[in-house]
Amino acid sequence: MADKEYKRVKISAGKRGWGGPLIIAPEPGKDLIYCVTGGGIHPLAQHIADLTGGTAFDGFKSKAGFEEIAVAVIDCGGTARVGVYPMKGVFTVEIHAIKPSGPLFRFITEDLFVSGVGTEQVELLDD
Amino acid sequence: MIKYQARITAIGPLVAEFIDHNILVLFGDQAPEELAEFSIIHDGKEMHGTLAVGDKIYLGDDGFAVMAVGEVASNNLKTLGHLILKFNGETEPEMPGDVCVEARPLPAIEPGLEIRIEEG
Repeated sequence: MADKEYKRVKISAGKRGWGGPLIIAPEPGKDLIYCVTGGGIHPLAQHIADLTGGTAFDGFKSKAGFEEIAVAVIDCGGTARVGVYPMKGVFTVEIHAIKPSGPLFRFITEDLFVSGVGTEQVELLDD
Repeated sequence: MIKYQARITAIGPLVAEFIDHNILVLFGDQAPEELAEFSIIHDGKEMHGTLAVGDKIYLGDDGFAVMAVGEVASNNLKTLGHLILKFNGETEPEMPGDVCVEARPLPAIEPGLEIRIEEG
């Protein structure tokens, strides 16, 4: 089987969002677009997977190691999921336009986290 | 009407740190491990209606009046068993996932404790 071809995307903060931009570059063994939104794969996670060639993955259905995650997509709304993936050093895309808060506040940094993201904030970098 | 009923099945090692901030995070038992770390895991499944100001959230026998409900809070509870309870007495949710209740000390949180949400 030929190696899968991956492409990079740049993900920027949306209106009233915070953080980023993040460059997401899936690679072999680290290509999961890890969706932790509930209700299946969120369209934004699917969109990122489609553009990058990464694998859309439902974090509520299956387990994966943090080292396999190219980016986590969350719709936390503010307190818990918002901090846990940055705490683990995982790139995190939050759908809601929120600023860092909550007990895990200190882990949420601009180089790991971006919020207020919709499909229009995801830009393909490679042809 | 009882809107939600569940029993605590597990308590994550970081829950105490969140309680220090007057926050309890709940998740259903399908939550991935990294979320279970700071969450109260429970067996709740069905939700009746949506959360509203004036509801009462019982932790065992101790009922806390709901003072504010964020716009995504009901959906979080319904789909993921996920609830963020802030014991801060605020009438405006700070974050869209928040449910704010009366600001007073929490009862002891332990496995087997019943969580019940009653219509106000």
